[in-house]
Amino acid sequence: MNNFEPKIVAFTCNWCSYAGADKAGMMKLKYSADVKLIRVMCTGRVDTQFVMTAFREGADGVMILGCHPGDCHYRTGNVKALKRYKLLKKTLVQFGINDKRLKLDWVAAGEAELFQKVVNEMAETVKELGPLHLTGNVEQGGK
Amino acid sequence: MNVERPKIALFLCECSTNISNFIDLPAVADWAESTKDFCFVEVSNLLCSPDGKKHFAEKLMEHKPDGIIVAACSPKLHEKTFQDIAEEVGINMSRVQMANIRENVSWVTKDKKKATEKAKAMIKAALQRVILAEDLEKVTMEAIPDVLIIGGGIAGIEAALTASKAGRKVYLVEKDVSLGGSVIKTEEVAPNMECSPCLLAPRLSEIRDDPNITVLASSEITDVLGFYGNFLVKVRKKARYVEESCIGCEACFDVCPVTVKSEFHLGLGNRKAIYALFPGSVPASAVIDSDLCKHFIDNSCDACVPACPFGSINFDEKDEELEINVGALVVATGSKDGDVSNFAELGYKTIKNVYTLPEFERLASSNGPFGGKIQLRNGEQPLSIAVIHCAGSLREDGIPYCSGTCCVDAIKVGELVRKQIPAAKVFNVHNDLVFVGPKENAFYRKQVKDGTQFIKCSDLKTIQIIEKGDKIRIDGKGFKSIKVDMVILSTGLEPASGTNELADMLNIDLGKDGFFKADHDLLNETGSVLEGVYVAGCSAGPCNVATSVTRARSAVGDIISKLIPGREIELEILTSVIDEEKCGACKLCISVCPYKAISFDEEKNISIVTEAICRGCGTCVASCPSGAAKAKHFTDDQIYAEIGGLLYE
Repeated sequence: MNNFEPKIVAFTCNWCSYAGADKAGMMKLKYSADVKLIRVMCTGRVDTQFVMTAFREGADGVMILGCHPGDCHYRTGNVKALKRYKLLKKTLVQFGINDKRLKLDWVAAGEAELFQKVVNEMAETVKELGPLHLTGNVEQGGK
Repeated sequence: MNVERPKIALFLCECSTNISNFIDLPAVADWAESTKDFCFVEVSNLLCSPDGKKHFAEKLMEHKPDGIIVAACSPKLHEKTFQDIAEEVGINMSRVQMANIRENVSWVTKDKKKATEKAKAMIKAALQRVILAEDLEKVTMEAIPDVLIIGGGIAGIEAALTASKAGRKVYLVEKDVSLGGSVIKTEEVAPNMECSPCLLAPRLSEIRDDPNITVLASSEITDVLGFYGNFLVKVRKKARYVEESCIGCEACFDVCPVTVKSEFHLGLGNRKAIYALFPGSVPASAVIDSDLCKHFIDNSCDACVPACPFGSINFDEKDEELEINVGALVVATGSKDGDVSNFAELGYKTIKNVYTLPEFERLASSNGPFGGKIQLRNGEQPLSIAVIHCAGSLREDGIPYCSGTCCVDAIKVGELVRKQIPAAKVFNVHNDLVFVGPKENAFYRKQVKDGTQFIKCSDLKTIQIIEKGDKIRIDGKGFKSIKVDMVILSTGLEPASGTNELADMLNIDLGKDGFFKADHDLLNETGSVLEGVYVAGCSAGPCNVATSVTRARSAVGDIISKLIPGREIELEILTSVIDEEKCGACKLCISVCPYKAISFDEEKNISIVTEAICRGCGTCVASCPSGAAKAKHFTDDQIYAEIGGLLYE
């Protein structure tokens, strides 16, 4: 059996996904303790450097969870997050990081079950990928 | 140099047993003590209870920490509770950091050992983060309590009167030459069959006589600057060429030689080049259509000048550009009648006695082209009438949605026709029927009882309207063809023309049907996505008269409860700021800001955040390549520290 316990950081927006996680809590929906949340006001706040820093500091997987398109509390922050995500996915491969280690998804405040599902799926995915071994540039912080 | 370590207090809340049963809090406390990172560590119970809060305050006063970690429930639940207590004892709110070990850990983790480890990681992250906290300040700003309303239909009228009653100055901007909107073009409002002009007349007089309300008819918004509490609205008031001394006596109408189709009568009647919409309009004064008036075309006619008993004609009037300061805006631009001319099978504009429902309303209106007489093009009264429901609606090539308001107006036809032509036969050809509430449903049953024949068509897209001599035949799936004298197409409601441009100008969003998007469909239907800009009436989506009025009152109610003369409004605390020294003038932040809160200072060559507009999403910060933009309380350093703490082993 695979006993690897991955470290996964999930950037969650205050209004939708963090609230969805809170609701999962209220409903006592169990999910992998490997996933730990960082609350930001909007996924639009998620700098690509946050993701790279998380990988560098030991994360095996990173998630960005925000409001569904059209529902952003700040109108369009999530769309900007999506654009950066698409670009970053491509860049990750160049750094030798499997792009499955980064996942963006939309989870609304009411979607507690969905929250549980997407974080558990990510935990499984990363568990299968095994620990992240960084090499070269990323490990040295781009210096 | 000896740098003193910041003093951090850690409160571990048992939350009855909600946390303590699933996380080994004594073990967490022991670990925390062992790290030497904390000046105070305590496991306490129910920190949010009155006793708990008192205890919390006492401990803060005793230890005077530089940072406070409350490992308990979600910050969305109690962050403010503990921040407020901290503020009360003189510690800045920024120094309170919650670790959400209930919703994020104890309630969702099966294994107590794993839960305990996760709680430690979150406390470590909170610790790293709180050390970097910078003071946050509550900022207040003086606000203008006055209101500008865009659109002078029934919603705008109601909004103006409501705001004025609260003592606010109101500017009511109307594109058309006078107030009244779409309701004034109807005779009676279903299902109560209230006389529409009688609903509006007293309100119009009240507005005319109200010194708080400035009516700007023939006027359009050209630009909106500023923000909630302090908008600057630019308005272009078109020249009317008739001064305000005109009382609307209509003496000039008879002498004017130019006759054109009247927009007010939807082309069913005529008006002159000098005209007013209806007697008793507000403003009362007539207006000269300079595109048609012979004075303006070739200077060949001044007939209205001697005819006017008040000397009100003034050909030299110029358009005016006004600048108005208000604290809030209400958009009440209404809707537009659905266009059915693209559907050849419906015979609109090709078969002479095929009308739209709004055109029928004009025929039946006492202020209409024929004084309210329902008649065919040849002047005779129709003895049989068919109303086609959902004409051009519920189809992708037309209006894809149900407007929800047309059915009750469509069945009103029978009620109005029978008053004038008791023997007339009325058929309502429908697929679905949508009635809201018991009153509308009772009205429907009354129509059935009074003789309207409801004919169910199984697919309204199969309807064919064919001219057969003097008669019109209607064919369609699921019913036997009928022949009638007159056909009325019940059209739905579309967003008013100019909606997109206005949305751009106001920087607010539209929903998928093209109407202005509510801040929240259930909780804030009359708020837009931008604070201080409200949506009322049909501009917020098709609705009936009652809902239009209610939305208007709701919007103004919200305004007058927040913009109070003499009271400053609180601004968003968690805004972004741009460091002048670091800004590289790339303007990326300007391009990503969803609120247009960032402007460029050409002189200093830097971008500047207007904090009164900024809502603190932090998108500019994530896009800033030089690290000049900073999100208060969510700084890069704080988030890096949090990441580091969370992943610490």
